[in-house]
Amino acid sequence: MTATQGIGSPATDKGPAIEIEIRNLSKVFGDGPRAFKALDDIQLDIRQGEFFTLLGPSGCGKTTLLRLIAGFEQPSSGLLQINGKAVAGLGPNRRPVNTVFQNYALFPHMTLAENIGFGLKMLGKSRSEVASTTQEMLKLVKMDAMADRKPAQISGGQQQRIALARALAPRPRVLLLDEPLSALDLKLRKEMQVELKRLQLETGITFVFVTHDQEEALTMSDRIAVISGGQVLQMGTPHEIYNFPAERFVADFIGDTNFIDAEIVQYEGDFAQVRLPGGVVREASLPEGFNARVGETVTVVIRPEHASLTERGDLQATVENAVFFGTDTHIHLRLEDQTPFILRRQNTGVSVAPPEAGQHACIAVAEGGIQVLRS
Amino acid sequence: MARDFSINRLPGFASVAILTFFLLYLPIFTLVVFSFNEAASMSRWEGFSLKWYEAAFQNRQVRDVSIRSLWLAATAASFATILATLAALGTTRTSKFKGQTMIYALINQPLMVPEIVTGVALLIFFAAIKVQTGYTGMGYLVAAHTAFCIPFAYLPIRARLETMDNTLEIAAADLYAGPIKTFVHITLPLLLPGIFAGLMLGFVISLDAVVITEFVKSAGQDTLPTYMLGQLRRVVTPEMNAIATLFLLLSVLAVTIFFVLSRKRA
Repeated sequence: MTATQGIGSPATDKGPAIEIEIRNLSKVFGDGPRAFKALDDIQLDIRQGEFFTLLGPSGCGKTTLLRLIAGFEQPSSGLLQINGKAVAGLGPNRRPVNTVFQNYALFPHMTLAENIGFGLKMLGKSRSEVASTTQEMLKLVKMDAMADRKPAQISGGQQQRIALARALAPRPRVLLLDEPLSALDLKLRKEMQVELKRLQLETGITFVFVTHDQEEALTMSDRIAVISGGQVLQMGTPHEIYNFPAERFVADFIGDTNFIDAEIVQYEGDFAQVRLPGGVVREASLPEGFNARVGETVTVVIRPEHASLTERGDLQATVENAVFFGTDTHIHLRLEDQTPFILRRQNTGVSVAPPEAGQHACIAVAEGGIQVLRS
Repeated sequence: MARDFSINRLPGFASVAILTFFLLYLPIFTLVVFSFNEAASMSRWEGFSLKWYEAAFQNRQVRDVSIRSLWLAATAASFATILATLAALGTTRTSKFKGQTMIYALINQPLMVPEIVTGVALLIFFAAIKVQTGYTGMGYLVAAHTAFCIPFAYLPIRARLETMDNTLEIAAADLYAGPIKTFVHITLPLLLPGIFAGLMLGFVISLDAVVITEFVKSAGQDTLPTYMLGQLRRVVTPEMNAIATLFLLLSVLAVTIFFVLSRKRA
């Protein structure tokens, strides 16, 4: 198994069929010297029936990509296919795609049932079909008791459910979700995460989910594309993205990370032997397509929970302080070369005393816990 | 520390407010009171009577000019509202274009140009057309009233459109509605209170217009305000008060409808 689903690698290896195929897609806003490249040569394959997340900070281009798929914007160049059909030039009303908007965008003058039935009505479905599907959708999102209310009469969480039902009712091939949970409070957000996952499994529809929340992305997605500066930096399962970040940005954006300079001693295939500060040589995994050179100094990533304090370790450090979080303790250290290092210790027993500040400590890194970054 | 600045805590606020309301409404109050006066006097109260209202209703001329005024106001306000709706859609539902500010200014021209100037201009302009075509009907008044009602109809409609979330229209397009269906099912129903508000405001403005009407009307095209003006030049009886009171009632009603509609939330 390769560590990462590299950029642009065709993900067609006899897996599920491709729902959305994106090749060399760019979007430029404005022209002349004030032009802004929101998306820069994107390559992406989204598989049928998967929960795919576009993850990145605000302004990275993820929402623009969603709007291109929906048809609200047209690409400046490149190919965009949905279910094998190029959709360039088609308006949003002519694509088998529906959107759940960040602010829900429920029609305020219609009842909840009318909102849900709107798409079907526009598709010219018969009155009885509209009614029965609407009923079915209301049940699916557990809102059937409120069919005749207006959007203003229900809570934010309920509006969210109706927005979902409305977008699912026409049975689109793809459901686009634009940060749909960002307006909800933490408890409701957790509930809706479970709910979304359930709906996706029950309907089998491909979900493309946009978020800047790394936790949301990790818990819900089948695969994640990390986007920054209009480019896809890395694509892979949550496990791959978290454990084998290929770029500094990805490692930094998802979870807490330690960045340490190391020297490549030797390498073979996806793995290399690297010399850590202090001289210890350990095995590290290489990002896909990485051109390693012996003697080169690279940056490696070590996750705080993959390190522990031991008698004889891989790294020598001085304890700066320890912060108690209940379930775990974050120990802030400084390596001999002054690089800061954070270590997370699970508080499995109550008796474990935190180390004292100024104390010398040895850090051991778990097997497979070191990943080389693309510089 | 200091609380938020509030104007109603300034010394003398209440006195100024009461005095202002008093000055604003005293003349109107007097007018209304004397419309119920038994005597023909405008200064001496001699007892309650509805006889001036009766006289007004029996006055054939008053009936004629009232009907003409209402017809003119309804027609002009309707045309103005349609045009204003199109203008509002064109200035809010399109991407920003060069000269948009200029367009706002042009639409609002009747608010800025003194009525007397417009009146004289229309008099001269329409006179030329009359000579050419021989047409002397109500068309001139309708055109003139429509023109100056447009900005009044435009403002509430545009305000409504600007506060309307345009992701609603995007959402409709996402749900397979083409541009026409989106307009019919989403934009228009949500815009309707604004359109009615514009209609009411235009109606009141047209009903009230004296200066431009005076210049544009042909013989026998008196509206209620120009008729009243003509009458006041001769004998003043409380019949005028009665007409003015009814007129006031109608205007207040229309303006109230306007306020209710424009305050209604989307």
